Amino acid sequence: MTGEALRSEQLRKVYTTRGSPPVEALAGVSMEVRRGERVALLGRNGAGKTTFLRIASTLLRPTSGTIEVFGHDVARTPERVRPYIAVVPQEGKPFFHLTPREQVYTYLLARGLSRETAKSRTEEALGRMGLADFADRLAITLSGGQRQRTMVATVIATEAPLLFLDEPTIGMDPFARRAVWDTFRTLTTRGSTILLTTHYLDEAEALSHRLYIIEGGRVLQSGTAEQLKRSVGGTLKVALAGAAGMTESFESFGSVIDDGEHLSVIVSPERLSELMELALRAKVSVTVGPVTLEEAFLRVVGRSINED
Amino acid sequence: MRTESVASSRPFYGFRAFLWTEVLVQAHENLAMATSMVVQGVLLVFVWILDPALIGVALLGAILFSMFAMGQRVLNEAAYIRIDHKATDLYLAGPLSPEAYFLGMSTGILIVYLTPVVLLGVLAVEVVHFSLAVGALLLVLSAIVWLISASIGYVFSTFFRDNRAIWAYASLFFNIFGVLPPVFYPFDKFPEGLRSVVLLMPPSAAAAIVQHAIGATTISSGQLMLAATGLGVEVCAIFLFAIYWARRTVRES
Repeated sequence: MTGEALRSEQLRKVYTTRGSPPVEALAGVSMEVRRGERVALLGRNGAGKTTFLRIASTLLRPTSGTIEVFGHDVARTPERVRPYIAVVPQEGKPFFHLTPREQVYTYLLARGLSRETAKSRTEEALGRMGLADFADRLAITLSGGQRQRTMVATVIATEAPLLFLDEPTIGMDPFARRAVWDTFRTLTTRGSTILLTTHYLDEAEALSHRLYIIEGGRVLQSGTAEQLKRSVGGTLKVALAGAAGMTESFESFGSVIDDGEHLSVIVSPERLSELMELALRAKVSVTVGPVTLEEAFLRVVGRSINED
Repeated sequence: MRTESVASSRPFYGFRAFLWTEVLVQAHENLAMATSMVVQGVLLVFVWILDPALIGVALLGAILFSMFAMGQRVLNEAAYIRIDHKATDLYLAGPLSPEAYFLGMSTGILIVYLTPVVLLGVLAVEVVHFSLAVGALLLVLSAIVWLISASIGYVFSTFFRDNRAIWAYASLFFNIFGVLPPVFYPFDKFPEGLRSVVLLMPPSAAAAIVQHAIGATTISSGQLMLAATGLGVEVCAIFLFAIYWARRTVRES
């Protein structure tokens, strides 16, 4: 056993389909996840997040590079890795003809847990996911969000040492998402490690100890949410309504984002009053807020996370 | 690290638990269970109308056909879980072994859909009055036919990316192998030149052996040997291949 839960070195994946040109989904991804960490892979659709997760969870063969889970080579000895992991697959659904209680319980039995442990973990997971009232209804009668909560409950109940969660809160309402975040935090305090993909920036920031921003199959930047935000060049974002085209006037304060309608300036607190004076003289309305991961992502990737 | 969920990934690990999962899933499909005998029922009615003397042979054939048709259910279920539910990853990225997943699913389906087959068996006993030895032979042949068809069903399920394509091919495959050859009618009614071919098809090979055992057909010892050897080789080869394939296809290339 190593001190790391996961380590990858120059991991590459090229998809080849007959009649189509090869597609490089991962172009040499190196990363590490320490035990007890919650790490998020942040990226747009098609960035390579799911490909990385599927390779790490033994479900996809890499083209080259290495990846280890708890010191076991995922490519060469996947059967040694599987007992340590559990996966919420992207867009996965529970069995429609099982109830959430049956789904979680039978899944735990299939992983080798005793009936007693499976039973108590099932009840705990259902409670945590707010599914107690729906626990005995067939999944086919549940809403999309409730089904997704069932999938998450199934996996968190394993308390596996390493959990892979591919867009785990998709389709959930804000309350359910927060309940899921709390549960993930509890799991890592108990010793589990979590690697999740998301394109919810607030989720990545609220939940993860560290983030990897992925684009085009490459890790463009990594660090804590604070580090990533600081790399933008300031801690405040000043939105200037009606200042489109005035980029030059504000460039000296920091990086300027002009989306065609609004101008946003990333500025340090020390220079805020100076910028405000200039804006007021130019009769531009000003909104000041903290820099968010959105700006960090935009700076690193050059596009919004929701842009296809 | 919590260690109680850490188990070694051994061959057939988790078989019983996944079997139980599949039984629970299938047990909710009451309508599917009720309609699982439609094809056999219709063919039995045809035989009854055309030649009531052949109803015994047809009943035994219906049992073997029912076992063969379970492969189609395995195919549909495996593909449904993988393509529609995308839940195969949930189960296989864990200690549950791939062969336990395949065999657990197949056996779960068998258990749930066995009830109507048992009813056919009771009817067959009433109509044919066969000996205990023939009953045992029928049981063994039914198990072989089931294992072959479940293995074929699971392996085929991994080739498809769309369930709609499966409906067409699966129905074609299972009807050509299960209805067309002499399963519901005596082996010696089949064109002589093609008899060797149908003796290599699991349902008709099993049917020919059972029909011979109850004296309902004429079959040479060479043909009997071909049917028995064919079934033996097929069940070993296809089942072992399915296990290999289940392990291999856990990971996509």
